[in-house]
Amino acid sequence: MNGSRKSGWIALAIVLVFFSVWEAAVRFFEVPVYILPAPSRALATLIANPNLYLEATALTLGESLAGLGIGVLAGGLLAVLLIMLPGLEGGVMTLAILMKSTPLVAIAPLLTIWLGFGVVPKIVITALMTFFPVLVNVLSGLQRVDPALTDLFHSWNASRWEVFRHLRLPTALPFVFAALKISAPLAMIGAVVAEWTGASGGLGRTMWLAYTNLNLPYLFAAIFILAAAGMLLFRLLAWLERKVVFWLPANREN
Amino acid sequence: MRKFVLLSVLLLLTIAACTPVVSTLSPTVTEPAPVEVEATFTAAAPEPTPTAVELIPMTFMAGYKPQANLPFVGVYVAKAKGFFAEEGLDVTVEHSAGQGQHLQLLSAGTVQVTNQDAAVLLQRRADPGLPLVAFALIGQKGQQAYAALKSSGIESPKDWEGHTVGYKGTPPPDLFALLSAAGADPEKIELVNVGFDPRLLTEGTIDVYPVFKSNEPFMIESWGYELNLWAAEDYGVPSLGLTYVTSEDILRNQPELLTRFLRAALRGIQYAAENPAEAIDITLTYTGPETDAAHMRFMLDAELVDAQSDLTTENGWGWQTAEQWQALADMLKAQGLPVEEDINGAFTTQILEAAREN
Repeated sequence: MNGSRKSGWIALAIVLVFFSVWEAAVRFFEVPVYILPAPSRALATLIANPNLYLEATALTLGESLAGLGIGVLAGGLLAVLLIMLPGLEGGVMTLAILMKSTPLVAIAPLLTIWLGFGVVPKIVITALMTFFPVLVNVLSGLQRVDPALTDLFHSWNASRWEVFRHLRLPTALPFVFAALKISAPLAMIGAVVAEWTGASGGLGRTMWLAYTNLNLPYLFAAIFILAAAGMLLFRLLAWLERKVVFWLPANREN
Repeated sequence: MRKFVLLSVLLLLTIAACTPVVSTLSPTVTEPAPVEVEATFTAAAPEPTPTAVELIPMTFMAGYKPQANLPFVGVYVAKAKGFFAEEGLDVTVEHSAGQGQHLQLLSAGTVQVTNQDAAVLLQRRADPGLPLVAFALIGQKGQQAYAALKSSGIESPKDWEGHTVGYKGTPPPDLFALLSAAGADPEKIELVNVGFDPRLLTEGTIDVYPVFKSNEPFMIESWGYELNLWAAEDYGVPSLGLTYVTSEDILRNQPELLTRFLRAALRGIQYAAENPAEAIDITLTYTGPETDAAHMRFMLDAELVDAQSDLTTENGWGWQTAEQWQALADMLKAQGLPVEEDINGAFTTQILEAAREN
């Protein structure tokens, strides 16, 4: 406990030093605000427009979490299906890699044609972005079962479901969390990229408008929110991991 | 087991928690149904009364982010002042990210009207053959000009020789026409693709930068720099600006819808010309606080000037002729760009005439 509090203070100190150096450099070199705003200026913009950023954040976070939820469910279920029907793995993975390699900005207008101008295309893009790391991680997690344990389960006459439930799933859980920790920040980026290609709200739209007007304090205020949200999500997942996968040595320090 | 249930419940809660956010914050979700529009419209066509109970839904997609481009302002004002409603229209306004999505969505029938630069429209019709038709020419002059800092000592296009000229994506077609009209040698100029970033000009990375006359000069001058500007039309090079665009399909099947749209939008432009301050207030409801009101006013004023010509004095806002389009097409062709042989499919005065007659 003491150790973790100490590391928390160190983290805070590093962050403070980073922002202080930035602030001092901008002031000392008199960098014009349209090149790089001081962090204090971005923060002031954020505080001066609470409703703008609150609404934009709620929308983007909503899209991110909905997309992440769908991506995680789809990736997880597909991984389970591939364990049940291993013959499909080659084909499904090829397709998944094809999808993963498609630059989503290029197909964003297609999604608008099919799904309209609202939040649905943004959620789909986010889901597509998060789906692949989940599929790969969960699949390799489910496959990484100790053969000796499988033999043991079989000698106990365990059913396929029991093997899955009591052996494969616990083995895969750490991989599920690894996937979530990769996908959660990706989900924020996915929603922002989707909004950047045309939206009527959200942090991505705010950033795009601010950039095209070279109104950089607005842009950096949005970046700060994104960074903070990404970090909070990551921390939340790390905490959840310690609670759920309690048996792993790394999570057993207490 | 309990842990696993806890995890699943948390996951479900997360999804459930964000669902209401998504649904309450999506007032702009629209389901454009062109087929239904058409059906309703034919039914309403014999009686074009403004008192129609049911407004006909349609979508206008601005070709870029919300800002005070005149074709956008005409629509913003027409919507806010009820001009569309008086024409029996319920117009949804959407905005393109400016990478051609609006043309794709128009061609697909998802939106009924958008706007596009005349020179780009001619090229997209020829390649890849998009079925675009301009039914009003709002910008009677081109939008672009070339800018250099006054302090650079560059006084004319001839002086560009030995300097770096930036361009955004592809060199603008009027660049070489302007150079030859000004007697400058393109071989002595270094062209670099710089994308959108006027800071490259003020930071001295490039010497000449193409700008939208109504946009970047305001930004750059607000940073404390003075500019020299050169526009193609100053050197006798034909150039045209933004048009209201529809697809061949909609022009053929729903001309009355377009007529009502145009009548209201041109009223919006007229209203903006008479009440620019109010028009900017309306525009700001779309742009949000990220956008500077003075910047928008600069844009509107500049575009109102370029929207007027002898033609529009005589015939009203948005008028266009075959001569204008032919001159532009000839210039593009001379630059080796793809243009159709017959330019008459690219524009129509049919809607303008119908809107004028009432």
